[in-house]
Amino acid sequence: MSTREEAEVRPQALRLEEVSVAYGPALALEKIDGGVAPGEAVALIGPNGAGKSTLIKAILGLVPLAAGRVTVLGTSPAQARRDVAYVPQADTLDPEFPISVGQVVLMGRYRRIGWLRRPKAADKQAAHRALEQVGLADRARHRFGTLSGGQRQRVLLARAIAAEPRLLLLDEPFNGVDAVSEQALLDAIAALKKQGAAVVVATHDLALAHLACEEVCLLDRKQFGFGPTRATLTPDRLRATYGGHALELRGDRVIVAHS
Amino acid sequence: MYQFFIEPFTFPFMGRALAVMVVLGALAGTVGVLILLRRLAFITDALTHTVFPGVVIGHLLSGDGGIFWGALAAGAATAALLTLLTRHRAVTEDTALAVLLTTFFAVGVVLVSRQSGYTADLTAFLFGRVLTVTGQQLAQTLAVTVLVIAILALLRRPLIARAFDPQGAQAAGYRIGMLDLVTNTIIALVVVASVRAVGTVLVIALLIVPAAAARAMSDRLALIVPLAAVLGALAGWAGLAISYDASIHHGLRLASGGTVVLVLIACYAGALAAGTIRRRLRVRRPPIRGSAA
Repeated sequence: MSTREEAEVRPQALRLEEVSVAYGPALALEKIDGGVAPGEAVALIGPNGAGKSTLIKAILGLVPLAAGRVTVLGTSPAQARRDVAYVPQADTLDPEFPISVGQVVLMGRYRRIGWLRRPKAADKQAAHRALEQVGLADRARHRFGTLSGGQRQRVLLARAIAAEPRLLLLDEPFNGVDAVSEQALLDAIAALKKQGAAVVVATHDLALAHLACEEVCLLDRKQFGFGPTRATLTPDRLRATYGGHALELRGDRVIVAHS
Repeated sequence: MYQFFIEPFTFPFMGRALAVMVVLGALAGTVGVLILLRRLAFITDALTHTVFPGVVIGHLLSGDGGIFWGALAAGAATAALLTLLTRHRAVTEDTALAVLLTTFFAVGVVLVSRQSGYTADLTAFLFGRVLTVTGQQLAQTLAVTVLVIAILALLRRPLIARAFDPQGAQAAGYRIGMLDLVTNTIIALVVVASVRAVGTVLVIALLIVPAAAARAMSDRLALIVPLAAVLGALAGWAGLAISYDASIHHGLRLASGGTVVLVLIACYAGALAAGTIRRRLRVRRPPIRGSAA
């Protein structure tokens, strides 16, 4: 793993230095160490309760650190917030909420619009472009809750894109998502990376890590590896991360069984 | 029509009652949409009960003039308490909230039972006495309304973002704790402003029903808010007119607060029916609705 040496050469979008987070007396995360360069993606991989969501909260500056340091875009998480976008899991949101797809995407511009001003033409254009990027421009006037789970996830990604982030955080974006939506999400993430945004994806999906991410961080409370995807996702490391839930197939492939 | 809807309100006391009911109906309807979006109906119900001892204590200390301030103190205290409790997840259980509200309510009942005019006072506190509203109380209601509407207009984007997606709003840098405190305080203010006119029990209907009816009629927030406000105001007017007409022309004494609530419930039933018909009709047409933003 050459993350440390690379950090000296390239400015990193996200840098984690021995990050530990405690909930009460128990450590939820212990000494997570690594970084992401602009235009690259890292997958956070680990079992349920491994601390993936906690790490995302730490990057957002929403949980206090017990030890270590998080540097986002060269500054503290709280100061970088304007340039960071977060995509929650679509199925955690109220499907009855009276809001249109277009309005959800426009929310990505709220911080720029401010409290009182009306959205400018530039804000509406950015929202429209973002919705085009996830292939749902024709759905702008539909109510958010009437869309399928995968489409809702794409709308939430469009909201993040509309915010023009330099660091994008996604929490399990592929849970319960159909193949069409998965491809649309992957394409949109690739486009963002091409524009120089760094991406962090918490996921169970090893295939996705291979497809979309240059690096992976294997974690189950502690870090079991952080580095280039192919070199890091080894059967040994996966078994260590997932304990008894990892099964080996034909020597070099591992599948992970979830309870 | 004129005789029914306008004439009663040429009496000064009826005019004041009408003004208070219309303003309160519009205010509660608007705030009700926030309650609906945040799914805070039960919290609101708790608030209406916890304001009650404040009303009683205010009355004990300085008579009618003390009611508003007693209610305000109790409302502010509960708003802060509820924000703290829900923030630290102590009140994810309905039980804890139910215990809290009955405790406060019992304190109010015990205090009011020490008074000589016990039943009359209790009835007034619980169900209101809109016909004896004074000019000063009307002014208080107007002041609360202007304040609350101004806060809602100012904070509409953070409040909507927080209601739709709390995690996303927090990630975007909105201060959830502050927004929740503001929300609870606004609800408390409306409850307090409504105590004289409709009492602490019936105000829950003013807060919940117009918003629910408006939601049944539209999927667009930009329509739901004005609809709820207009419904609340119209129900206040119609309820007063009906109770006046029944008691003057038919010798039938109908409590004005209760009549207003029944009119609201009728509106809600109508809105549900209209909503069902609208959805049936829409099956045949592609679902295209109003402007995106």
